[in-house]
Amino acid sequence: MSDFSEIENDLRKLRPSQPSPILFQRVEEALTDCATGALAAPKRSEGASDARRPRMLLDLPQHWATWGFGVAAAAVLVVFAALSVQRSQEREGTIAQALQPSEARPSVNQVAPAALAEKFVPAGATRVVYNTRNEGLHFADGSRQPLRRVRYQARQTWQWRNPTTGASLRVSYPSEEVMLIPVSGQ
Amino acid sequence: MENIGSHEDWKRCFAEIAPGLLLFARQWANSAADAEDIVQETFVKFWRRNHKIDNRALLYSAVRSTALDFIRRDSRRARREASAFGENDDFTEPKFEIEDETQRALADAISGLPQEQREVLVMKVWNDLTFAEIAIALRISQNTAASRYRYALTALKKVLQPQ
Repeated sequence: MSDFSEIENDLRKLRPSQPSPILFQRVEEALTDCATGALAAPKRSEGASDARRPRMLLDLPQHWATWGFGVAAAAVLVVFAALSVQRSQEREGTIAQALQPSEARPSVNQVAPAALAEKFVPAGATRVVYNTRNEGLHFADGSRQPLRRVRYQARQTWQWRNPTTGASLRVSYPSEEVMLIPVSGQ
Repeated sequence: MENIGSHEDWKRCFAEIAPGLLLFARQWANSAADAEDIVQETFVKFWRRNHKIDNRALLYSAVRSTALDFIRRDSRRARREASAFGENDDFTEPKFEIEDETQRALADAISGLPQEQREVLVMKVWNDLTFAEIAIALRISQNTAASRYRYALTALKKVLQPQ
């Protein structure tokens, strides 16, 4: 391959981009966390490889206790939600008065983040608008000023990161917004 | 270079191999941030599973596997976002530290190589893997690895020295 020595030399002069300092910090934290966990937890034998274990989105074997607690909390919430639904069906006529906001939406906003808040911190949020539709002029009730109705279809993505392990959690969902923009009558 | 060393050993080791690993992961990741996620996940798993870091064939195979998993996880979202923006960010985050126009042309030519040739080139030139290690990591024969490398260099020569 002596023909290629020149191009190989040129290639070696190209230096790969350096990783960001944050990467070193993240890996260092993850390694420290793993080291701490390894001291506390019983050591696995050399042959007990978990390479064939199914991969998980959040691969955190050092924190099974934490995740076990989270799963237990989620199970309690499911039971609680089922009881709420059953109770609301029994009192269908007075559902609006009977259900407080905390009962109506107990699962996501209150308990789950509390269980996970110690570990995951917000790492980013994006909103990608992939479609905008102008739906023309409209007049609100009792108003003579025209309003332009614009519909936005977007995808929102929220990301959390565990600074100690580097694990990340991403939630992505579609959203649709309608905006009414006053139109000047010039 | 074994993972039974101290934490400081691992930091030094990671500092040595991180740029090459990132370049390798960058072939599948749309952004430098995604590539860093892939490298971090792989490296930490390696440490945790008591693998030896000098088993480079296994390390690069693991990076590749993690990157492909990452693509599968994010492919739908990435496609949607890429189509919404009408572009991707390959051009805003260079994979190399470019010093002059010749190097820019070389980097562009590398980006234009077929994936199978580029990954061999990256492993060989910037990560110093042997053809035997590349063959194990990519599950191909050594001859195939060497051929792909030779094809890549030939293609780059053609691009840079058109006759």
